[in-house]
Order: sequence, then structure tokens, then C-alpha cells
Amino acid sequence: MANATTDAASDTSTLAIPVHVSYIQKLGESQDDLMYHLTSHLRLNAVYWGLTALCVMKHKEALEREQLIEFVMSCWDEKAGAFGAHPRHDAHILPTLSGIQILVMLDALDRLDAERVISFIFSLQSPTGSFSGDRFGETDTRFCYCAVSALSLLGVLDRLDKDRVVGYIRRCKNFDGGYGSDVGGESHASQVFTCVGALAILDRLDEVDSETLAWWLSERQLPNGGLNGRPEKLEDVCYSFWVLSSLSILRKMTWIDGSALERFILSAQDMEAGGIADRPGDMPDVWHTLFGVAGLSLLGYPGLEDLDPVYCMPTDVIERRGLRKAWLALPRREM
Amino acid sequence: MMEGKIDLVLSGRDSARTRTHLALQSSATLSVMHGIKRTKVDAAAIAARREKEKEKLRAYLESEKEILDLKEANEWSEAALQLTEQFLNTNPEHYTIWNYRRDIFTKLVFVSWTPEDAYQRLVLDLRFTTSALKRYPKVYWIWNHRRWCLENTPSGPGTEPDSKGEEGIDGWKMAVWSQEVLLVEKMLSLDERNFHAWDYRRYILSHCPPSLRRSDADELAYTTRRIEKNHSNFSAWHQRSLVYTSLWKEDPSQRAPALDQEFELVKNALWMAPDDQSGWLYHRWLVGSGDDVTILEKEIGVIEELLEVEPESRWTLDTLVYYKRLLMKHRSEQGKRQLVEECRRSLETLCRIDPMRRRRYEDIGATL
Repeated sequence: MANATTDAASDTSTLAIPVHVSYIQKLGESQDDLMYHLTSHLRLNAVYWGLTALCVMKHKEALEREQLIEFVMSCWDEKAGAFGAHPRHDAHILPTLSGIQILVMLDALDRLDAERVISFIFSLQSPTGSFSGDRFGETDTRFCYCAVSALSLLGVLDRLDKDRVVGYIRRCKNFDGGYGSDVGGESHASQVFTCVGALAILDRLDEVDSETLAWWLSERQLPNGGLNGRPEKLEDVCYSFWVLSSLSILRKMTWIDGSALERFILSAQDMEAGGIADRPGDMPDVWHTLFGVAGLSLLGYPGLEDLDPVYCMPTDVIERRGLRKAWLALPRREM
Repeated sequence: MMEGKIDLVLSGRDSARTRTHLALQSSATLSVMHGIKRTKVDAAAIAARREKEKEKLRAYLESEKEILDLKEANEWSEAALQLTEQFLNTNPEHYTIWNYRRDIFTKLVFVSWTPEDAYQRLVLDLRFTTSALKRYPKVYWIWNHRRWCLENTPSGPGTEPDSKGEEGIDGWKMAVWSQEVLLVEKMLSLDERNFHAWDYRRYILSHCPPSLRRSDADELAYTTRRIEKNHSNFSAWHQRSLVYTSLWKEDPSQRAPALDQEFELVKNALWMAPDDQSGWLYHRWLVGSGDDVTILEKEIGVIEELLEVEPESRWTLDTLVYYKRLLMKHRSEQGKRQLVEECRRSLETLCRIDPMRRRRYEDIGATL
């Protein structure tokens, strides 16, 4: 059991940036740990989560740029022409988006054989408009988002048959305004983000039943301030991003209680070892750390960098590429 | 960036085994965790655990390297098939090794083995994924592999001769597909909201051989059982809305009688637990766009009765405001004014009892 903690360590009223930065820096040092290797299928994604969290906390330099680029490039699958999650792993659209996002954030896209990645992505689109994750053909609205976001970051969205993708997303829409993992799938906040995010990038938010969806999203907030991903489920810090980003794209962030959510996210911090967990008292991980600080950034928490809710990347990076959409987050508060 | 939460094997709520496994780890590893209590672990304890795990780790990395070497050497062999199975037993998230396994099937099993042997091997893979799913019910890659096995089952003998006296060729396919509904029901009885299992259920129902198709009536009965077991199971309500949509598309005349029955069913759920969202969401689906004024008026009446018993029930008030806004479209100016007044009063109460969503109520009030 946990020992009694000191007052300073248990005071979660502010974001403990220095411990979280050091937590992310140390993530790569656990190579003696079996668990580190058991999660290699998520490594490139995890690097994206860590780097983005650092950018939001204004500590991008905490990870060494050249090392990051080298690691991204070591995940290249020469046979398929895209990124795997780890050196020697097969290409898949999920780590491929992570790889592109990292290179964009590090201003290193010139290292990428963009034409090969673009062909890889287009090879995954089916005649129905859906995208699969790799050559084995599993489809999911997550993969649509990955494809649309990646093509947009690479500046080749004009080559995509947008109506076909939009048609597929339309078929995934449910009566509650939300979206599921595929046609017929139950609405789920993270799949809502992927569909709404993709439609935002495609400038097709007219497809969204905005009032119904914002109503459903605002009903994700529970009395303790946290958000859940589906009706009658438990709260979890990662929905701070999936729900908030969607509400922010719909310009309805005020439909939930931002202060209560902020307190909930902060209470899930590990003030000693660093990192943010799914909920208070649980083990932290880099995934919840990113989506916790991402939520705080959208909520206007003082001292953080603006985060673009459509791309889940720093706003200035997206603005520089001329990709900013008409989302609305809460104004940044003074310290 | 997307998959972690949903994709993680190691999302611990599902099995005690995973939980113990995860509890072993330090807070500094790169994994995604759910519901694992934080404990204070000092450096000495971490070092001791790492020492203990050293052998396991060495064996794991050695086995991974051996398999990836074989894969890169394009070796398609039965020995490699066995190695991948052992490895995936330890780590079912390693998608590259699942891919390699399927490539061995395609390049060796399906081309060099007898169809009978290939079929038997696929049956073993189905068994393997069944036991893996029991341990890791939320790992995408296991569900995917299962679909792949079903879709790649070769044609084989065993079905009754058809009308022309020719023996059927779907015996093997029928044998494998016929197990799937049972499997998915087992998975849903372990976790009634597991969306992987629900997605898989819909896949099975729509892709199985035609003679195994379940009728919409059977599927409806299944959702009734799930809902009666727990009214709060929105996944089952959602499935029910899909079944009716398909039924009514085929035979629109069934809609009106079914609606009466459905309103009665959901009314029971709402009266039993007016704070539970599941029934309210389904009710909104039944009312739909509110073009049927008779239904709209009748249901507003039913919900107002509930409000008398539960005057501060948030969902009751919120639903009334929504339905009255739909009803306004069908009213004259005077009737509309009265509805606006009623909505305003409800919205005021909502602002007071549910301050978290106050801005939503104010925004709606401003549109009246």
C-alpha cells in the first residue's frame, strides 16, 4: 500500500510540469523492464504522445531532436513504404500517422519518402470509402482519420476522393449524433473524435448533427467532473481529449463544466513519479499524460501551449502549414 | 496516435491475470494502463523485480529476434508457425507476428498442405484465439485474426446434397461459422459492454453463410434478454435500434404495432431508473424527428406523469424540453407560446439542478 504522502506531494491543485517532463524523459530508460518490450507495438505512437505532451508543456527540447528523428526513421518498413511501430515491425497506418506527426513537429518532413507513404495510404482505401489499417484489411473509422490527417499534413488532400470518405463516415453516424468504429457500431467518444476530426479537415462539418452530438458529448461529464466515453461507463482522463476536442471543433466547449473537468484531470497526476493516470490514484502512463495535458490546454489552463484539437498537435505547427480550422477552445488564463 | 486506449491488451480491467502482470511494473514504462492502482515502489524493489524478470526478458527478446529473423528470411515453415503461436501466447499485441503467421498460412499451409490439413490447422487457430480472447478480450489483433480464419476457411465436404443431388462444399465453412454466435454470447456475458464483441457480433450476423443467418426476430429476442438483465446496457438498446431499422425497412407495416410495444418496454426502464441514460436515448430514437404528432403528444404526456413523481429528474426535464421544441413546429402561434413558456420553466429548473451543463440550457433557451 502507498505510504502516507507529504502535503506537497498530495496537493494536486496545479500541473506539476517539471515532474511530468522528467517522467517523459525517463520513459526510454526502462529497457530492463519486460513491460517496456511487451509494449513495443506502441513505441512510435508513444514517442508522439510524449513529444506532443512536452510541446504542450513548453518543453519540446527535453527530448533530443536528432535522436527522435533517427528513431522515427528506424521504424521505416522499406517493403511497404510506411512506418511500423518499432524497428522491424510491419507498416500500419496508426504508427505511420505518428511518424508523420513527429517529423512535422520537428520540422523534418524532408527526411520522408513522402510519395511512398502517400501510395501506401491510398492503397488502403476501399471502394466503399473506408480505410484499412494495413494489407490485411481491418477497417475502422480510426483509420479514416489517420489517412485524412496524414494526407493533409503532407499537403496532398486534393488527391483524395473526399466524397467517398465522407459517404463512409455518414454511414457510421448514429441516431444519437455520435459515430462508432464502423457502420452500425455504437457511438464512442474516441470514434466521434476520429469522424468529427476527419470531417473538420475535409471542411465537411455540415455532415454533423451538431446540436444532437454536442448534447450527447456534454452528457459524458459525470458528477466528479471527469468524462466517460459512452453512456453509463466510468470516467477516464483520456476522454478529456476525445470529448473536449470534439466539443471544441463544434464550438460548444461551454456545454460542460470546464473547471470541474480541470480539477479531475489534475487530481489524476502522480505528483512524485510524474505522469497522469486514467483516474486518481492509478498508475500513470504516457497516453493519459498527453490526453490530460491536451485537455488542460483546451480548457485554457495557464502557462500551456495552445493545442490544435483537430490534429492533436501544437497550434502554431498547424497554423504554419495553413491548416487551422474554425474550432474554438477556452481562452488561455493568466497564471 | 489513436489506438492506445482501445487497443491495449494490457488494459487491466478485464482480467485478474493481466492486473497482477501489470502491477509488477514500475511507473516509468511506456505502456497504457487502466484501473491499476498506484503503489509506491522504491528503487530497490524495482531492481529486485528486474532481476527476477531477467530470465523471462532474455527469453522473450531471443524468441522475438528468432521469429523476426525467420520472417525477414521469408521462411514459411511449420516450425515457424509453432514459434509464432508460442510467442503470441505471451504477447498477443505483437501485430507483426500475427501478420507473419498469416503469411505462413498463405504461402505454405494453403498451397502445400492438403485441404483437410489446412482446415484442421485453421480450426486450431480458432481454438487458440478463443482462449486468447478469454484472457485479453479487448485486443483488436486477436479479433482480427479470428475474422481472417473464418474468411479463409477452404471449401470442404460434409453438407447435405442439394436439389440436383450434388454434394455440398460448404461443410467446413458451416462448421466454423456455426460456433461464432455462441462464442460472442460468451464474451458478452463476461462483459456486456465490450464493443469489440458487439462489433464482432454484427460482423458474424451479416457475414455468415446464408443458411446460418439468424432472423431479426431472434436477434430482437437476444437484445430483450440483455436489456431485461440490465436496463443500463446501452449497447443492447443500440443493437435493438439497428434490428428494428432493418426489420422496418423490409416490412414498414410492422413499424406501428412494434412502436407501441417498444414505448411500453422503455417506459418500464425509465420509471425504474429515471437517472439512467440508456432508456432515454432509446426513447429519443423511437420518437425520431417528431413528425408523428400523435406519438409526440402521447409521449410528452407519459413523461409528464413521470415528472410528477420525480419533479427534479434531469433527464425527464431535458427530454420534455426537447420533445416540446419538436412539437412547436406543428403548433400555431398561440400553442407555440405556451410550449415556449413551459420549456423556459423547465430550463430554469435544469440550470439550478444541473449547473455543470448550465450553458447548454441557456443556449437552448436563447433559441426559443
